[in-house]
Amino acid sequence: MTKSEYLTEYDGIVKTMQMYIDGSKQGKSELMRPAFHPDASFFGYAGEQLAIGTQFLFDWIDKNGPAPKIEPRIVSVDILESIAVVRLEVAGWSGNLAGSGVRMSDLFTLLKTPSGWKIIQKAFHWNAAERGLAA
Amino acid sequence: MPERNTPQKTLESWKQIAAYLDRSERTVRRWEATEGLPVHRREHEKQDTVFAYRHEIEAWSRLRTKTPNENSIDEAESLSPVKPATNAYLTEHDAITRTMHCYIAGARAGNGDLMRPAFHPSATISGYCQGVEYSGPVEHVFQWVTANGPAPNINPRFARIEIIETIAVVHLEVQRWSGKLAGANARASDVFTLLKWNGEWKITHKLFHWHDQ
Repeated sequence: MTKSEYLTEYDGIVKTMQMYIDGSKQGKSELMRPAFHPDASFFGYAGEQLAIGTQFLFDWIDKNGPAPKIEPRIVSVDILESIAVVRLEVAGWSGNLAGSGVRMSDLFTLLKTPSGWKIIQKAFHWNAAERGLAA
Repeated sequence: MPERNTPQKTLESWKQIAAYLDRSERTVRRWEATEGLPVHRREHEKQDTVFAYRHEIEAWSRLRTKTPNENSIDEAESLSPVKPATNAYLTEHDAITRTMHCYIAGARAGNGDLMRPAFHPSATISGYCQGVEYSGPVEHVFQWVTANGPAPNINPRFARIEIIETIAVVHLEVQRWSGKLAGANARASDVFTLLKWNGEWKITHKLFHWHDQ
């Protein structure tokens, strides 16, 4: 992959991730749904409970409502031809379900499709107790 | 299936597993680390304990194929045993590579059932094979691997392992894939996502890219 090809793919991936971030911030799953592949999966622990399936995520986002102060950071983007891994750290989560000041670590895997890069899986780790600089 | 977990069906220590296979503890520990011997762990506060299901050990023994490195592996008998990791990161790292070796052992032997314990029951796969996108349940991998048959020369490398508490990502580069479906000398890049589930690392998703030859 040449440098310009890499940058084109990188931009495509970030664009897809932005849909996820916009949906999270506004509490509207409809904004993030186009970022996901129809066969996407979702895995992680919500407290003690293992949450599986993108429907769980979309329902959660809608019920949680707006989280205007989230601070998303794309920590890494690794592209291997038709597949990619993105690590996203989101601090400052708030909302009806999230509470306040919590942090989420996400690993997204993406697949390049004819209609752009699509999230094929989101695995998350929920850091309930934020011990950041503010503490 | 309910009798699967009864005490008679399990081996409850390295000593019992070694006796069952008629090998030294050192050898069976190494087989777990490098050849996918299916050993499970129970988490305790101080130190984890191990156990194994007889039916899984038997399946593994039946399917274990002789690899070209067999002789050099046997020479390793004389080496000192690998000490259990004492730092938390390495403990998780070792547990993840054990799960991955279970996958590799199945791929090498050409037997899907051998790698099944490495996966979460709801695991899925996605990727392109000869330009056609496939997404679906992991069962497809087991069927493919079995239909492909042995791939004795595969050369897997861990390009990256990243652990975030209960989740992890592993980038595995596999060269010299062979078999009825893989062809000869094929190369695949795989990205596995894992979840720590009931104290064991399980693959929840395999994303693959076959490189053009």
